[in-house]
Formats: sequence, structure tokens, C-alpha cells
Amino acid sequence: MKLYCLSGHPTLPCNVLKFKSTTIMLDCGLDTTSVLNFLPLPLVHSPRLSKLPGWVSKDGSANLEKELKECAGRVFVDSQPEFCLPERELLDLSTIDVILISNYHCMMALPYITEHTGFTGTVYATEPTLTIGRLFMEELVNFMERVPKAQSATCWKNKEMQRMLPGPLKDVVDVWAWKRSYSIQEVNSALSKVQLVGYSQKVELFGAVQVSPLSSGYSLGSSNWIIQSHHEKVSYVSGSSLLTTHPQPMDQSSLKNSDVLILTGLTQMPTANPDGMLGEFCSNLAMTIRAGGNVLVPCYSSGVIYDLLECLYQFIDSANLGTTPFYFISPVANSSLEFSQIFAEWLCHNKQSKVYLPEPPFPHAELIQTNKLKHYPSIHGDFSSEFRQPCVVFTGHPSLRFGDVVHFMELWGKSSINTIIFTEPDFSYLDALAPYQPLAMKCVYCPIDTRLNFHQVSKLLKEVQPLHVVCPEQYTQPPLTQSHRSDLMLELQPPPMPYRRCSVLNLPHRRRYERVYILPELANSLVPSEIKPGVSLATVSAVLHSKDNKHTLQSVPKPPPVAPSKKRKRVLEEPPAVLAPKTLLSGAVPLEAFLATLQKHGFTEVKVEETADGHILHLQAEDTLIQLEEDGTHIVCDNNEPLRTTLRDLVLCFLQKL
Amino acid sequence: MDRECALLLPGVCAVLAGSGSSLPDDTSLEKLLDWFTGITEAGGSLLESCPCLLKLISTVVHNAASDPGVLSFALRLTGLLAATEESFKIIQEHSVLNEVFNLQHWQEAGLWEDPCLRIGWIQGLRSMLQHPKALSFFVQSEFIDPLLQLQTDTSLFIAAAANQMLAHILLFFQPVPPAGCKGVDKKEKGDGMTPTGADYTAVVKSISGYLQESLVPKESKNDRQSLQTLKLLALLLAQAGPPLRDKLLQTVGDSLEELVTAGSSELTLPLMDVILSACSSSGTDERITRLLSSMLNINKPADLIHAAAAFLRRGHHDTVHTARAVRILLLPLDIMTGQTLLGTISTADEHQFSVVEQLKSKSSCISMICVCLSNTPQITLTPPDVLPCLPVSIVTAVLSLLKMCSGNSPSSSTGCSEASRNVIGSGKVQKCALEALTTLTSSPGAKERISEVFTVLIQYLENPDSDPTVLHKSYQALLKWTSVCTDFSFITDQLRHDLVEVVKKRVCDMRWEVKDSTVEFLGHLAGVCDSIKAAAEECDASEALLGGCSTTPLLREALQDSESYVRASAISALAKTLTHRWQQGATLTEEEPEIVSRLLEILSQDSEGFPRRAVVQYFISWYSSHSPPSSSSSSSLLMQSVRSVLSQGRADLDWEVKVHTLVLAELLLDEAFSGHPGYKKCSDSHHASPHAYGVVSEQAYTLHTHTATHTEGAESDLAVVVEQGVVSVLLSGLVDCDRPVALKACRLLITLRETVCPLSLGALDASAAMATVSCELPGCGWGREIIKILKMKKSDQAKEEDIADQRGLNGAEEGGDSVCVSVCEALRSLGLDERMEVLTQSSDHIHNSPLSLLQDILTASATHTKPGEEVIVDCY
Repeated sequence: MKLYCLSGHPTLPCNVLKFKSTTIMLDCGLDTTSVLNFLPLPLVHSPRLSKLPGWVSKDGSANLEKELKECAGRVFVDSQPEFCLPERELLDLSTIDVILISNYHCMMALPYITEHTGFTGTVYATEPTLTIGRLFMEELVNFMERVPKAQSATCWKNKEMQRMLPGPLKDVVDVWAWKRSYSIQEVNSALSKVQLVGYSQKVELFGAVQVSPLSSGYSLGSSNWIIQSHHEKVSYVSGSSLLTTHPQPMDQSSLKNSDVLILTGLTQMPTANPDGMLGEFCSNLAMTIRAGGNVLVPCYSSGVIYDLLECLYQFIDSANLGTTPFYFISPVANSSLEFSQIFAEWLCHNKQSKVYLPEPPFPHAELIQTNKLKHYPSIHGDFSSEFRQPCVVFTGHPSLRFGDVVHFMELWGKSSINTIIFTEPDFSYLDALAPYQPLAMKCVYCPIDTRLNFHQVSKLLKEVQPLHVVCPEQYTQPPLTQSHRSDLMLELQPPPMPYRRCSVLNLPHRRRYERVYILPELANSLVPSEIKPGVSLATVSAVLHSKDNKHTLQSVPKPPPVAPSKKRKRVLEEPPAVLAPKTLLSGAVPLEAFLATLQKHGFTEVKVEETADGHILHLQAEDTLIQLEEDGTHIVCDNNEPLRTTLRDLVLCFLQKL
Repeated sequence: MDRECALLLPGVCAVLAGSGSSLPDDTSLEKLLDWFTGITEAGGSLLESCPCLLKLISTVVHNAASDPGVLSFALRLTGLLAATEESFKIIQEHSVLNEVFNLQHWQEAGLWEDPCLRIGWIQGLRSMLQHPKALSFFVQSEFIDPLLQLQTDTSLFIAAAANQMLAHILLFFQPVPPAGCKGVDKKEKGDGMTPTGADYTAVVKSISGYLQESLVPKESKNDRQSLQTLKLLALLLAQAGPPLRDKLLQTVGDSLEELVTAGSSELTLPLMDVILSACSSSGTDERITRLLSSMLNINKPADLIHAAAAFLRRGHHDTVHTARAVRILLLPLDIMTGQTLLGTISTADEHQFSVVEQLKSKSSCISMICVCLSNTPQITLTPPDVLPCLPVSIVTAVLSLLKMCSGNSPSSSTGCSEASRNVIGSGKVQKCALEALTTLTSSPGAKERISEVFTVLIQYLENPDSDPTVLHKSYQALLKWTSVCTDFSFITDQLRHDLVEVVKKRVCDMRWEVKDSTVEFLGHLAGVCDSIKAAAEECDASEALLGGCSTTPLLREALQDSESYVRASAISALAKTLTHRWQQGATLTEEEPEIVSRLLEILSQDSEGFPRRAVVQYFISWYSSHSPPSSSSSSSLLMQSVRSVLSQGRADLDWEVKVHTLVLAELLLDEAFSGHPGYKKCSDSHHASPHAYGVVSEQAYTLHTHTATHTEGAESDLAVVVEQGVVSVLLSGLVDCDRPVALKACRLLITLRETVCPLSLGALDASAAMATVSCELPGCGWGREIIKILKMKKSDQAKEEDIADQRGLNGAEEGGDSVCVSVCEALRSLGLDERMEVLTQSSDHIHNSPLSLLQDILTASATHTKPGEEVIVDCY
């Protein structure tokens, strides 16, 4: 069993498991933090961004004026933003049989894997994962294509060049794995390879293993995966949550008794408790609105936003925010809000039961109905005519590099009465804000990450007790910024196996058993004999038939009736096929009784010697040794066949024949 | 006992003797017994006044079918009756005593199994044992052994009662200590009552023998007996005079030593109790001191900490042991925080090692740290020569623990990192530490750390994960530290900015508890600032803390809050914030009229009582703190709004609002008549009379005294008061169905009557002028009620004096129009004094009277004999 680790990002994993004869890719996460090194893509012409000076090294030796721009004391790449792809050289991606997707955040690299690599397998995901994943991809493509950039910067990636660059650019790694966004055609082609599955549905892979998604409680349709054969079980735990938010609760018990548990997707904010952050979000929002300011919430178009809206739904009345408009701006805003209401079976119990009333499971329906929440595909069009301040705007992208949020940053950033509240944990907020400095706007960072924290995960692992745990290396030490917090790491016995980008792990589990089926008629012919209470044995002679990773014992084909022709008879005699097997013995030789029997048969001078495994009996008169051991009995006598036979028969008296 | 009751009692006795099952409810017997006890304590003799009781006892005791409850009652009644020597003799002559307390009889009858009977037996004997004769009876009947057995009864109540009883015997009958010794309550023992020495000696002997034997558990399972015995011993040692105490200590000394050595965790605290009791009564007994030393050296850290805490709580002034206890309590803090509280200790200390081990387990770590923390304030107050470190180091340690709890501790390398993990995010430790920090303000030198304290507290307020209680405690700590602070120069701009920001954020919190605490904090801060201002004119805490950020807009916003508690807190906080301005007579700010109109809106429209109460209190504080030279705009706004408050508060549905409205009315009365010679302030103006079902919050207000010389007659003042609506408030209060309201109104009306038309003077000419002042009564509601009363009184009067002038009144009743009545006349004819009498009695006085009890018992039994009819007992 081997694990190839193609991504080093702990919450955006991409691993490949080779198990039995299958090659399974677990998730396909796309690391988008690379976009922070690029200049924002403004929707409306921005004089500030268009007049930035190009970067020239101090001694003038490196001139990348066209590719790099200086902005707010930092250097940014002026090109269409690029993403850091999973490693593609570690193994041949065309050999991958299946890809298992655990949630919509972890599938954004799918087109890069399934297209142009020779991939011919199947992708498995739940319905909400596919639907919302598609929305995310379409949104991303839309964001990029709306602001086309002719230029693609590559010179700076040159190793010699990169060494001379300042700041963060100098230290970024794997720059050659960075790629521009895919096209909508590629998205469609990639997603056409997805096969939908439901929770606990068992999918057979070539008869060798069975895979099955379990609810993970993190987002709509999010799943953990069980990959098992008859005698081995591998659990893949990706983004999971034990909090009561909108999705169906996490299925923990099915993870029990795993031989290997691959653990990824823990919270990125172990010190920020989601409840506290939600409170922080609401009070800062209310504070800003009361002071007459606007609130900007850069966020993804699905996920935590549903919970935020639900929370605000309850909060706005108590905080007297009744008349403040809430805007949700995204090319997929409408679909996201509507799709969330139709996935009843994927929701938590509370929300499911609402559907039977019948009521919309999420209260944002009411917010929309009462005109408190309005959604628009973009800032262009209807929005500009209905826009009213002070207001709250939810929009993407959380990196602040593309999407409608760029416009609001330019619009509101200069006034200190406005507030930007970061709720997505994926990006460092200071890095995200870097190209907008100096900024008068108030910044509040309350990342809401509902994924498991270290306390919850150690409790979970105590309960499900996997034999081995594999996890990203980041989880095996305290966070860099809080090295004194030894409670923010995984401490397990045996210690977890850490991985990093490009690791290839030999998983410690050894396969010891294989299931073999026996045909009924053959089973019928068996004669079991009980060797100890509850344990029966039988010998079987059969032909082992292996096909599609299934092994079956079939009866030995009977020799055809004896043919009259002599010629044929001779042929038949040739194979040593039907030799009757020797009878097998079982049991142990009891020392006392055996000695008594020897005595009875005239062996009087017996010296007994105790050894590590049993006893040695020395028949002194006959100069013969009998070794009685747990798994064997040896009679050593010199050239005295009659004596050996006698002794053998005496031993056999005590053993059972099968 | 009044005649009526005496007449009913034989009937009740007959009912009880018959069967107890027909009692109206199961508290009847207790009530009956309480009544009898009351009579006895008042010096009455029950035996003389009710001979039927003795008959009842003997009938019940002989009746095999008696209800155990009634039997228990009989036993206790017997004890009560036999509590004096004379009655004891009489009862003994009737040979009732032997039968009643005959244990064998009860055991044979199988009734002893009933805990009800056993407790009756103990309590009966306990009431009886007030004189030597009773003791002799007790000793001769050999009751001591069964009583000792009951000490470990399966019922906890019985076991406790037996313990009390044993202690009572030994303490009550102990020889009078020589003068100068610590007095023991002897209940006026006469000379003739000195117990026969032999009886007492016998009792002491058996009990101390028992103590010696049962103190050390024979097997591990017998901890309960040891526990009970220790409790008894503690009771005894706390009150015993020297001879008894010495005897006891001599007897149990060895066993105590054995127990201390055994070191059972369960027994640590009771054992400590015994040793400390012995210590405080015997002073410097060497053996006891040794025991104490061993207790402070036991090797189970958790027990040791509890023992040390118990020692410190008792407040002994024994330097050696105090020092030891202090070290024990500081050690966990020292280890956790890495602060050297204990100086340099040898690191190989075995005790320290085991404490570290304990701290590694989460539950024991939290409990140990909490014990340490709750004792830190006391520790800092111990004499400096006992303390191993400066008190200020303890403040530092608590602060670093707080930082550790919030996960902000930069490094725990000096402390124990495994242990520190246990307290991260622990709400319990946070609360304990904040409480400790609050009380540590009084520690010597604590102020040196004030800047750090503020930083930590503001961090706590900022922390999104702090729960509401933690935030509340942080606010309290902040207020306490502010109140002791005289120099605010340590507050940096950053700190000030952080505090302002966090307060602004917290008033918008999602949790109403947090909003409430924040709003409350703002109010208290204004209060604290005021008191500081009084002390040192030049420093302004509010200015220093909030940097001129006005809190009024925040509070005004909170007036709109959806939670009634928050609205109420915001109103009182506003009052506190503005008090200073009112006192100075400052001119109105722009926002004040807006606030007032919002408050009046709340008073008239809010659906919850708390904000409405707060509104009335707001005007009470405004009215009582405004000073006469206050600007005319402020004064006129106040008087205008007071009028609305009076008329709205009067009609409120909430009785507390109405009572507060009456308090406001009282202030107006005080102001109007304070110069008048006949005016006496109502007695309950500051302390509300005890209400049967509610306590009026004590609003401390300073009464503004009328300084202007009172030149005009009282009638013009009366006219002013009527015009302000005060009289209407009082009259409507008088007929209110809520007793506290009616009571308060009645008191005020009587005061008013005494002032403006005193009956005693009979000065008709004075009244003649007064009579011209009249007030208008509405033709419906309270007005109609008042008219009805007046009419009734008038018609009574008419019969006698044949003076009838009821046109107006008749008209009122028929037409429902409002009428004018002379205030004086109304005050005189309302029968205020009789009303007052009725109102001062608690509303259930009729139902609680013994007569009513007896009647209930009789009625219930009558109904019981006639099945089918059900009696509904009024439980009100």
C-alpha cells in the first residue's frame, strides 16, 4: 500500500493511494494562495492600479518592468493570476482509476488532472458537491474571463531572476507548477466524468476494493471516504465538522476499525472558535452600520455564507438593523441561494424537517422575500441602480485579487467608517490587503472555520482507534506563530506518519488475508471434524479460480468416464492430478500418557529433557530420540525402520486424523 | 391561647386520636407543633391549658393502628410538654413517658422501621432534655446506646439529628465553666438544676467510649461512621468547656492520630474541622499542634491543598502553620506560572513532584488551581514575615495564569507545559482567577501592577471566546481596579483606544447577557468616576479610561434593544452617567430631551416590567439629585416629565412600577412640605416595608431639602401637589389591589393628612382654608372606588349627624363623570387608619392563624367521614 502526496496544502489535499490493484486519487485541491502575488484585476478601470511603476532591481541588472509592478511597497506580478497545481510528475496521472472527491472546495484542480493527461477513469462525488463545485469553477472562470489580460508573465519565474526579486516573491516555491485558470470547456469536460454517489452507497472498484462516502458534516454533500477490501480498511478523512451548522452531521462510527486513516482538512484556525468568531462578525457588523459605515464581506459563494445569513437573520432585529440592505454579488449568487434550498436530504435534521412543513430550509429565502437580501450577478446592471448605503456586501473572491470585491475595495477603502470583515480562513488577511495599502477602512479578521480542531480530532481518533494515522506534516508540530501551544498538534501513539508535497509513503499495513469463495457443491462435500470446541477443520481439494480480483474454489473436474480406447487412457494417466492427499493430523501428544504407553510397550529407560519448545525423550536402550514440539514431532533413530514405525504408530495414537 | 382555639382543641385531639389520615395536608401536624412550641416558649403551660393533649398522647400511643406521622407527632409533643421540670413530673405521674419513649415497644410493633418515628423519638427526647430529671430518665431508660446507633442511621436526617442530640446532651449538661472561660450558652440554668453528677458522668463515659471506638474505621467500608463521629466531635469541641474538652481530647487523641496517619481522602476535611475546632478552643495543646502539623504534611496533594485552605479560612494566627499552609497553596501557582513565589525551592522536592503529576491531569489541575486562586486574596493579607514572597508577586502570578488561560502566554518554558495545556480555555479557572484578581486590589503593593491588570482585562474583554460570565467578571474586576486607582497616567493611548473599541463592540454583541454587562459597566464606571471625583477633584476616571468618548450615544442605542434587561440596564446606566451633570445643575444637552421622550415612550409602551421600573427610577434619581440653581430648561423638562411619569406610572400594571411611582410622589411631597412644621417624613421612605411577596429595591437617593423659607400657608403647597398629580397617585394607590402599593400609598396619605389637616388640632379655621383645595376624581377606575368609599363613609356619618351633602357623589356614581372633592375632606373620610391596620397584616394572616388551622383539621375530618364531598384547601 503506497500513498503519493501531490499537494502540501493540508486543507486542499491531493493524494494518490495505491491499494491492491487500484490507483485512487483522494481529492483534487487547488492551492489558490499563489494569487496573492498577483495584482488585483479591477472590474472598473482603476487609475491607481494602471499607473503603477514597473519593478527594476536596484543595480538595474534585472528589468522586469512589464511583468512586475510595485504597489504599496511590495512587488506584484502583473498578469492573469495563477494557481499552484498538484504535483504532476510524481506519477503518471493516466494510471489513475478513480478520483474520490470529499467536498466542493477540494475539487478545484479537477480539470487540470482529468484533461490533457490521458486520464480515463471515473470521478466520484455527491450531488451537492458536483453542483456547487461546478458553480465555484464557473465563478472562477467568469472572474478571470471578465478581465482578460493579454500578457502572461513567465520571465520572473526564471530561477536566476527569482533570486534577485524582493519580498515574498523571492521565496515562493514550485513556481513552475503555477498555471492560469482553465476554460469553461475544460470544466464541462472534467465534470462530465463525475459519477454521482450517495452517502453509504458502496461502489465496487474492479472487484478489488469497495469505496463508500460518509457524511462529514462540513458542507453540503461533503464526505469522508471508506476504502476497503475484505480484510483491509482505509479511511480518508477530509474536511469534517462536528458543529451543528447546516449540513448533515458527521458519521463517525463508520470510521471505526480502520487499518489506516488518512487525516486531512483540519481547521486552519485552531485558536479561533467559530462561535466566538460569528459573534465577533455580528457585533462588528452592527457597530459599523450604526456608525453609518458599509460592511464588506469577501467570501465564497457557498458554505459559511449560508450560516452567516442565517445568523444575521436572527441578529438584525435585535440589533435594530432592520432596514439595512444586504447584497450578495456573484455570477452564481442566484444558483447558490436556490440550490441550497433543494438539497434537503443533505441537510441537518432540523432543516430537513422544515421541508416537510413545507418551508424553505434556509431562512435566506425569507430575507430575499422581504427584500432585506438582494443578489446580483455583478456590480454592473441592476445593482448600480438599486445600490443604497450604508449596506452589507457579500462578494468574492476572498483573496481580493479578482471578482467584484476588488471594486468595493477601491470604492470603500479610503473611508474609516467602512469595515471589511474577513470570514474565510484560506488567505492571510494582511497579504490579501497588501496591494490596497494604505487603507483607512477598518479591518476585522474573524475567520470561521468549522472543520475539526485538534481537541475534537484527538477525541475522534480515541474513539475510532485506527491502527495507523497519516497526516500532513503541519499537524505534527505546533503552529509556527504559537510554538508554545503544544495542544495545537496531533499527539498519538504510535505517532502519525507525516507527509509533505511529493512524499511517497509506504503505508505500514501489510496485507495478510484474501477472501476466497467456495462453491456450494464443493462446500457440501467437505467433512469437517472438530478439533476443539467451536473449531472444525476439513481438508479440501479444489481448483482456485481467480477473475476480476475475485477468487473462487471450484470442485476438481471429474475425469471423464473411462474411454474405451487405450490411447486415450494413456493420456489420462499422465497428469498426477487425482493423487489422494495425505491425511492431516492434529492435536498434541500428552507427555505423561505417552510415557505410560512407551512403558507399556517395553521402552523402560526413558530420559525426559525439557526444551524451549517442548520435550526430548531419550530412549537410552534403543539410543533413539523423540522430539515432541508444538508444531512437529521427530523420531531420530539410526537405521532401525521397525523401531521408527512402532514409535510412529505410538505417536499417532494420540493424534486426530482429519 | 385564645378561647376559641381552646374550645376547638379537644375536637382536633379527637380527630388526631382517631386517625391521622384525614388531615387536610401533611404540614398540619408541623404547624400544630409550631404553634405549641410558640406557646411554650412564650411561657404558657400547655398541660394546664389543654389537658386533652395528654389524653391524646396516651390514646395514640396505645392505638396499634395509629398513623406513624401522628405517632411521631405524639412523641415530639410529649417532649415539648415535658420540657419543664414540673410538667415532666406530671407526665411521669401519668406514666406516659415510659410508654411513649419505650423503644422496645416500637421495635416489637414493627414501627421503628419507619424513619418518621425514629426522628420523632430523637426530637421528642431532645425537647425534653432541658433539665436534670429528664437526663436521669434518659440514663435510666438506657437510651444512650440506641441513640448512638442512630448516629449511623440510613436516613441522613436521622443521623444528623442523632448527632445534634448527642452534642446537646454533653454540652447542655456540662458543668458550668469557671468565670472567665469562653461562655457556653447555658440557657439560664438555675442552681437547683445542676445535673446529678452520676448521670452526666455515665453519659460522658458512654459517649466518649463510643467516640474512641468508632473514630477509626474498622474496615475501609466504615468511613461513614468515622465521618459522622468526626462531625460530632467537631460540634463538641467547638463549644465544650475545658473539663469536657480535655476529657474528650484525651479519649480520642490516639484515634485522631491514627486517622491522620491513615490519610483517607474522604475524611481529610472533617478531620481538619475537628483539629481546627480543638485548636481554637484549646490554644496550644502540644498534641493538637502536632496533629495539625501532620495534617499539613500529608502526601496527597489534592487533600493537602484542601486542608491548607481549611486552615487558612479559620484565620488562626499561628505563624508556623500559616506559613506552611501558604506555601502549600502557592505551590501549584508557582509551578503553573513559573513565577518564583516560594523562593528557590529544592527541585528534587518529592511533594513538588507529586503536585506536578496531579497538575498534569485536567480535572485535578483545574480543581487544585481554583482552590489556590480563591485563597490568594487571603494569602496576600497574611503578615509579611509569613509570606514567602511579596504580595505583588501573587498578583503577577494570577495575571500570568489568566494569560495562560486565554492561550496568550508567550512561553511556558519555566512552568509546566503539560499542566498549562489543561487550563487553556477553561472557563472555570478564568472565572476563579478573575474573582481573585478583583479581590486582590486590596493587597499591599498590588497597584504596581495596575497597568498589566488593565492590559490583561482588556484582552479578556476582546477575546471572542470569552463566555458571558467571564466577560461580566472582567468588567467587575476592571471597575474594582478603577475604583482604587488614583493616578491614571499609566493608561496609554493604545490601551484607551482598545477599551473604547471593545466596549463599542460589546454593546453590539449577539448575546444579550454581554450587552447587559457592558451597559451596566458603563453605568457603574460613571458611578465610580463620580466617587473618585469626590475624592480627588482633578482626576477623571471616565475621561482617563474612555478618553472623552461619550458613552451616552451607546446607551441611547441600547434603549432600543430587543431584550428588556438590556433596556432596563441602559436606563439605569444613563441615570448614573447623567447624575453628575444633574448635581452640578448643568444646562440641558441636546440629547437629553430626546432621551426623556424615549423614556416616556418606554414607560407607556414597553411590554416588559423591568425597563418601565427603570424609567421611574431614572426620574427618581434625577429628581433627587437635581440642585435648585439648575438651569431653568433642565428644571422645566424635569417637572414636565415627572408629571407624565406620575400619571403613567400610576396606571401601570406592574406593582413595582407603581411603588416606584409612589416613591417619586413622596419626593415631591418632601419637597413641598419639608419646611412645614407638621410634616414628618414617611418612616419607610428609605427602607421599604417588608412585603409578603416582593422586595422593593432600595434606591438610594439623597433627598434634596427645601431651602427656601416656607412663608406661604400649606394650602398653596397642597395646591401645587394636587396640580402635580401627586394626590391622584396616592389615592389611586390606596385602592390598588397590590398590597405593597396600597400600603405605601396609605402611609403617605396619612402623612399628608397629618400635615395639612391634622385631626388632633381640630383647628377648623385652618382647615377652612385648606378645604378650598380640591382634586378631581375620574368617574371610573380608581376614582370611582374612592368615591364609593367616601360615599359609604358619608352615609355612615349622615346617619349620625344627619348632614348630607352628597349631590356630587351621587352624581358621580350615576353619570360616570369626574367630580371634584376637597382633599382635606377626602383625607379625613377615607378611614386611612383602619385601612392601614388591615394592610400592615400580611395577606395570609387569616389562613396562617392557629384558629384557621384547627378549623381546617376539623373540616377535613368531617368531610372525610362523609365521602363524596371534597374540600378544597386554600393554599394561598
